[in-house]
Amino acid sequence: MTAFFANYLGYDAGWFVATIIGILLIALPLMLAVAMIIYADRKIWAAMALRRGPNVVGPFGLLQSFADGLKVFLKETIIPSSANRGLFLIAPIITFTVALLAWAVIPFGPGMVLANVNVGLLYILAISSLGVYGIILAGWASNSKYPFYSAIRAAAQMVSYEVSIGFVLVTVVLWAGTFNLSGIIEAQRAHIFGFINGFAFNPLLFPMAVVFLISSMAETGRTPFDLTEAESELVAGYQTEYSSMSFALFWLGEYGNVLLMCALNAILFWGGWLPPVDWAPLYLVPGIFWFFGKILFFFFVMSWIKATVPRYRYDQLMRLGWKIFLPISLFWIFLVSGYLMLTRYGV
Amino acid sequence: MIQTIAFYLFATLVIASAALTIVARNPVHSVLWLILSFFNAAGLMVLVGAEFIAMLLVIVYVGAVAVLFLFVVMMLDIDFAELRAGYAQYLPFGVLLVLVLSAEMIFAVSAWSAGGIALSASVAPVPEGVPNIEALGTLIYTRYLFIFEGAGLVLLVAMIGAIVLTHRTRSGTRPQNVSQQVKRRPQDAVRKIDQPVGQGMDL
Amino acid sequence: MSNTASLLLTLPELILSVGSLALLMVAAFVGDSATRAVTWASAALLGVAALAALFPANGGGLAFDGLYHADAFSAFAKLLIYIAAAVSVVVAPRFFERAAPLRAEYPILILLSSIGMGMMVSAGDMLTLYVGLELQSLAAYVLASFMRRDSRSAEAGLKYFVLGALASGILLYGISLVYGFTGTTLFSGVARAFGDGLSTGELFGLVFVMAGLAFKISAVPFHMWTPDVYEGAPTPVTAFFASAPKVAAMALLVRVAVEAMGPASSAWQQIVIFSALASTILGGVAAIGQTNIKRLLAYSSINNVGFALFGLVAGTAEGVAAVMTYMAVYVAMTLGSFLCVLQMRNAAGEPIETIESLSGLSRTRPALAAAFAMFMFSLAGIPPLFGFWPKFLVFDAVVGVGLWPLAMVGIATSVIGAFYYLKIVKTMYFDEPAPAYAPVTSYTEGTLIAVSALFVSPLGYLAIPALGAASLAAARSLF
Repeated sequence: MTAFFANYLGYDAGWFVATIIGILLIALPLMLAVAMIIYADRKIWAAMALRRGPNVVGPFGLLQSFADGLKVFLKETIIPSSANRGLFLIAPIITFTVALLAWAVIPFGPGMVLANVNVGLLYILAISSLGVYGIILAGWASNSKYPFYSAIRAAAQMVSYEVSIGFVLVTVVLWAGTFNLSGIIEAQRAHIFGFINGFAFNPLLFPMAVVFLISSMAETGRTPFDLTEAESELVAGYQTEYSSMSFALFWLGEYGNVLLMCALNAILFWGGWLPPVDWAPLYLVPGIFWFFGKILFFFFVMSWIKATVPRYRYDQLMRLGWKIFLPISLFWIFLVSGYLMLTRYGV
Repeated sequence: MIQTIAFYLFATLVIASAALTIVARNPVHSVLWLILSFFNAAGLMVLVGAEFIAMLLVIVYVGAVAVLFLFVVMMLDIDFAELRAGYAQYLPFGVLLVLVLSAEMIFAVSAWSAGGIALSASVAPVPEGVPNIEALGTLIYTRYLFIFEGAGLVLLVAMIGAIVLTHRTRSGTRPQNVSQQVKRRPQDAVRKIDQPVGQGMDL
Repeated sequence: MSNTASLLLTLPELILSVGSLALLMVAAFVGDSATRAVTWASAALLGVAALAALFPANGGGLAFDGLYHADAFSAFAKLLIYIAAAVSVVVAPRFFERAAPLRAEYPILILLSSIGMGMMVSAGDMLTLYVGLELQSLAAYVLASFMRRDSRSAEAGLKYFVLGALASGILLYGISLVYGFTGTTLFSGVARAFGDGLSTGELFGLVFVMAGLAFKISAVPFHMWTPDVYEGAPTPVTAFFASAPKVAAMALLVRVAVEAMGPASSAWQQIVIFSALASTILGGVAAIGQTNIKRLLAYSSINNVGFALFGLVAGTAEGVAAVMTYMAVYVAMTLGSFLCVLQMRNAAGEPIETIESLSGLSRTRPALAAAFAMFMFSLAGIPPLFGFWPKFLVFDAVVGVGLWPLAMVGIATSVIGAFYYLKIVKTMYFDEPAPAYAPVTSYTEGTLIAVSALFVSPLGYLAIPALGAASLAAARSLF
């Protein structure tokens, strides 16, 4: 695309236009996807609770999310009088922007990536570590006690689980030999027995896939790790004082992050845009469909868990992160690197 | 051209947010400006081709250190009036620091322009086509292995120190006993009875 | 050189690292009941590491492309450091048992600190120097406030930390200047660059590095932290501070001055002369008014460091050998004095630190008084005792390079210093007895006091041939 525009506009301007178009091509469908995924979440949740879920607006209630969006858009933005105005308004913007930023390095198919950088995985880690600021700032700027509790919980929770996520990523990187996400996907081609694609089918990496799936739920604050907005303890956590569009931005950002984590699960352990098996006819289906299918599958798993599992207590959450995941993933780095040293690099 | 624009954007933001870190009256705002400054510094690192350092800067400083820092600052109960009362008292000291720092800067810049710093001549050449993670890794795990492990021990000492100095066993907490929870079976906790009407419950 | 060969040369650090990590696991899983075993295991580890340092693989050499030196100098310094560390480990349990059982982290922190000190004395690169120094200091900050319920201990830790961090910053600033202007952090490379003439930037770097290191040996004008930290820290920790890190920092200073900045000796010589003179004078004068024995010993250590620096002023192999001999004898004297301070506890077992309480010690505890007097006389450098010999060597080296006026001033200052040492002896022997101390219950401490007293007694002169040869060999390996 860059080359196409560069032909007409010169390199700099062409690059600029191509990048802008690329960003729009990712961000706009993502917004649409978030709207639909919220609907799907509610439907799955309802089905598991033997309810109907949204079924009024549009066919099967498909337009429910858009109706909700329109509603919050038309409401008044209320800023509490003792809140810190600037930070109060900027917090949801940070959450939302950060949720979009990480998608820049996600490969949707062979060569279909906005920025194919060497350190893609580190970039994702860096961006996802920024996500916590939206919540902390929201909690602090609200100048209200429940949001503040929530902010403190969020900060501790995210920092804790980022540690084990980081170690899990290291095991993947060790095996793939690159931080580039497309490279990681390519490394999974015909990974097991010469025809199964995906690190998760590797018995050495499968436990890490599980740890990553659970940690990604904790990182996005999904049930059973939604301590930050535990309604029975903290009203609505950091969102308590928010209304209207600022509330909607939190909502969008949160689901954007959930989708991102599903995509990461697919990319890191389940072969991204590769079909599950390295068999020529399967490649006739475009990679992007495999990728979206995997994302949707993981989203279903997350909704399933959300619908069935009770919330953790705070000390249990910390215990799981620090006393179980951290030692396991640390030990696994040792195991994986030792195995690779023996087999791939010959000591 | 894009690089030039990006450089001036990042550089301006680094300096501006660094200045605002000092000027901001609210310490929380100061920390936030500091974070913005870190973030833009990472942008500058990307521009010079040190993408690994840039990402580390964001992950470590912005993602972890500054979060905890923000955490502490938010919890502080600071009396701003009192803080500013000391301003005049420490002014001479501040002026002295400014003088020393500016002297150093002038000195460094003049040495630079006089050709006193010939760093580019003496540093190891950057290998072509090797990502800087690999380049760093090969150095850290061979030549600098000993120091790298030493740095690991420094961090370990910091951790031991923090635990030794602050850890205390608190009474009255009810920590989770996982093995006990797992061992518990329904028949230990639940009893099904057919309660006859009008008779007392057997608890 | 291959990594394996390099790693073999760093065997003392490897032994201590692996050992301390293993002991840390034991301490974490067994708990405080393991303290006794961990303490003795740590002392044993230090002994093994000392053996490994004395007999390096392939007879020593450079490891990791010159980042690490395993030579006679580092072996000599490491031996002293490990002995001092082991003594501070084994005397601790009895001191701490009064308040609460000693936590097993104490010996482990000392081990980790010893690794850092080993890195310092073996450093062949600014990076090794800095990482070693930080490892040593960070463990020391924690040790200083080890009795966290005691406000003085907490204060000592905090003061040490803040000032130590400042000194590290100064040192790092100097290192970055040196690196910026010479383009290398290797000592040999820095020396080569300094040999081509000293630019202003390099001079600034040199001054900052020297200042940072002067803080670590607590030489004037960077001594302010010493009395407060020594007074507040638990006594076994103070004994440790006064011995092992002093040796390490002094050896490091000598190595940096000779190996990295040797060609610029005229530049650092003035700094060292000033620091040596100021330390001896201030250490002597400020100690006079002290009423707390630990503070007094802090000033005594400042004073002694000043004398040791005179050896460095000479800048010759003989001068460096004199510094090393001085440090060896100083470790014995200072450890002995602090062991005596450890015996100062009232009938209830509470430690007392006032000089007053020493009154008439010769009548209540004659042996302890005799040992203490011996250490005091030796620290003062009064001839029949062994403490005189290194002072003589140091001034001999200074005179050897023709700086005899400096030697005259130095000798004059040692007379000032002698005053307060003699005052303690007078208190012990001629004043009316104060309430008696609690009786000794530990044979370890008694034996250690006896051994160090023997070493500083005139009998110590028997060690001169061995000590002299070893320190000269150590010094030669730098030139």
